[in-house]
Amino acid sequence: MELPQQLAAALGAIDEDYLVGLSNKGTVNRAKKDLAALTDPQVEINGACAVVRWGDVECEIRTPLGESRCSCPSSSICRHRITAILWLREHSGQEGPRGETACGEDGEAAPRRFEELAAYPTEKLLRQLGVKQSSAVLFRLESGSLPRISQTSVVTVELPWAPATVRLLEPLEHSTCTCHSKSFCSHKAQALLYWKIAEGMVDADTLKEALRTSENRSCEEGKGICQAVQEMLSAQMTTGLSRIPDSVCDTVERMASLCHTAKLPSLERSLRRLHREYTYYFNRSALYRDTKLLRFLAQSFRLAQQLEQAEDSAYQRLAGAFRDEYLNVGPLQLYLLTERAFLGNNGYSGAVYYFWSCQKHRFYTFYQLRPVQEGDQRRWSPPEFVWKMPCTLHHAIHTRLELNGARVSHSGKLSSTEQCEAVLGPSEEPWNVFPEDEIFTDFARLLHERSSPHLPESQRLALVYPRRCVPRKYDTVHQVFSMELVDEEGRIVYLESTYRHGVDETMEHLEGITEQIRKNPQLRPMFFGTVYREEDKLKLFPIEIVTDWGARNE
Amino acid sequence: MNELLGRIEQALADLLQSGLSTRAAAAGPEIHALAEECERVGLHTGAALLTELESALMQRSRTIIKNDVPITAMICRLEQYLELCREKLQEELIEKRWSDNLTKEAPQ
Repeated sequence: MELPQQLAAALGAIDEDYLVGLSNKGTVNRAKKDLAALTDPQVEINGACAVVRWGDVECEIRTPLGESRCSCPSSSICRHRITAILWLREHSGQEGPRGETACGEDGEAAPRRFEELAAYPTEKLLRQLGVKQSSAVLFRLESGSLPRISQTSVVTVELPWAPATVRLLEPLEHSTCTCHSKSFCSHKAQALLYWKIAEGMVDADTLKEALRTSENRSCEEGKGICQAVQEMLSAQMTTGLSRIPDSVCDTVERMASLCHTAKLPSLERSLRRLHREYTYYFNRSALYRDTKLLRFLAQSFRLAQQLEQAEDSAYQRLAGAFRDEYLNVGPLQLYLLTERAFLGNNGYSGAVYYFWSCQKHRFYTFYQLRPVQEGDQRRWSPPEFVWKMPCTLHHAIHTRLELNGARVSHSGKLSSTEQCEAVLGPSEEPWNVFPEDEIFTDFARLLHERSSPHLPESQRLALVYPRRCVPRKYDTVHQVFSMELVDEEGRIVYLESTYRHGVDETMEHLEGITEQIRKNPQLRPMFFGTVYREEDKLKLFPIEIVTDWGARNE
Repeated sequence: MNELLGRIEQALADLLQSGLSTRAAAAGPEIHALAEECERVGLHTGAALLTELESALMQRSRTIIKNDVPITAMICRLEQYLELCREKLQEELIEKRWSDNLTKEAPQ
C-alpha cells in the first residue's frame, strides 16, 4: 500500500515507546488486542492523510501523528487511533515482522536525533521555570544529582522530587507528563532542560550565564520603576503635606502594585508602610507621627535610589523576596539546643526549636505551629515526626543530627519539607558543642556583635555567660521578671521576661533559677536568648538557662 | 546630642509639612544654624550634609526650572544619617551607663 511520503516517514520513525508517550501503556496494549481482531479495514488516501474505517469507527491518520482524528468522542489519543497507526505501519512496509522499526542500510535502527527538542531555546526554558526552579536545576547539576533519563523514540525523564515522569516527544506539544497537564508544564520544562544537560548542550556556566541574562532583563524594567518612585516622592516633598490631596494614598498604592509586578518586593513593602502612614495622616489618627512619615518616605526613596544605581548582582539582593523562599543548602550538621513555646497574635501557636550549625557556626530556627481556636485551653504537644525522624523534636533536644536535603530561608528558618531527612546522632551536653568564641563573657563584644537593631533575630541569638547574677524584685505592675547579669568588668546586661498567659513555664523556670542563686550566689548559669537594646540598656530576652555550665571549665 | 538630632529631624519634618515650593528659601537660616551647632559638637558629616542642603535650598529659589529630586535625595540622606547617629549614640549611652555604674561601685 502506497502511503503519502510524509506519513510513511512518520510511521517509520516511531516505535511502541512513542505510542505509549502519545497515550499510555494501557491504551497501547488494548489497541494491540484490537489489531489482532481487525480484518480488512477500508483504507483511503486523502491528500496527506490516510483514512481507516472499520465497524462504526473512522480514523484520519495524519502528521504529526498526535493530531490524528477519530469518530469516537475521545479528545485524547484513543485506542482506535493507535490501532489504525499500528495497522498502517504493518501494511505499509515500515514495520518488520516482529514489530521493529524500519532499519537503515547497515541493518541497525537509525538513532533518533530529537532536533526539535535540541532547538528549544534554553533561555525560554529558564523563564518558564523561574529563578527558584532554575537555581534548583543548577544546584543538582553542580552536586551531580541529575534525574534518570532513558532514550528510545521518546525521551523519558524521571523527576523523583516532583514526583513526575515526563515523556518528551516530537513534536514537543504531544509530550506527556504524569501530572496530566495538557500544557507545557514546569515538569516538562525541567525534563527538557535536564535532557539538554545530559546531551552536553547546556553546562553549569551556560546555565549561570542564562540565569544572569534573564535577571538583567527584569533589572531594566525594575530600574525604570525605581526612577518613577523617586520622582513621585520628590513631587510629594515639593508639594508638602499641608497641600497634598488625599489621592496621594492611591498614587502610592499604585506605585506599590507596579513594584510588585516588577518583582521588587522590598520596595513594595516600603511603599505600603508609607501608604499606611499617609492613611493615618488623612484620617487624623492618633497613631500618625510626621517624623515617622518622613522616615518611611526617606527609606522608600533611598531604596529606590540604591536599586536604580545597583550592579546586577546587588540588584537581586536589594530587590528582596516576596515571601520566605526556602533554598537548598545541602546537608547540615546540626545540634538541637532548646525549644520555646510560641504564642502568635495571628491565631497560631506551637513551639520554636533552636538549632546550632557546627559547620556554619550560626543558629537556625524551626517553627512547628498550629492554628488555635479562641478559648482553646488544651495544651498541645506536637504528634508529628518531622524529617522522618524516629522521635519528636522535643525528645531530640541536646542531640546532634544530620539534616540531608536541608532547605533554609534567608532569615535562617528551616523547612519542614518531606524532601529533608534527619539522621539522629549522639546526645551531647551543650558545653561540648559550642566553641569558645560563641560564649559571651565580655559584654562589650556582645554589644558590638549581636545587638544591632538591623540584625534579624537569628543573628541576635547568643549564649551569655555572666560572672554573677543579681536577681531584682518582680514588677507586679507591668508583670516583668528581671535580673542583672554582670560580667568580669562589671558591665550589666538586663535579663527581662514579661508574663504572658499560656507561657507560664518560663516564669516558673526563672523563679526557680532566682531561688537557686539566692541560696548559692556563686552559681554561674549560662543564658541563651535574644539580645536587644532599649534606651541606654543592653537587654536579653531569655530562651534557655543551663545552671551547671561551669562543669565544662572545671 | 539626642536633642540636637531631634531638632534636625523636626526641621526636615517641617520641610515635608510645608513643602519645598513654599518653605525652601525660608528654611535656609534654620538649616545653617543647625549646621553650625553640628560642627560645634563634632558631627562634621552632619554639618557638611546640612550645609549642602542649605546651599541647594537657596539655589532653588534662583532657578526657574526646578528639579527637586537631588534635594529630596539630600533630605533622605540626612534622615539616614540621623538614624545611624541615633544607633551609635545608643551604643555610647549603654557604654556610658556601664562606666557610670563602675564609678559608683568603685571604692571612694
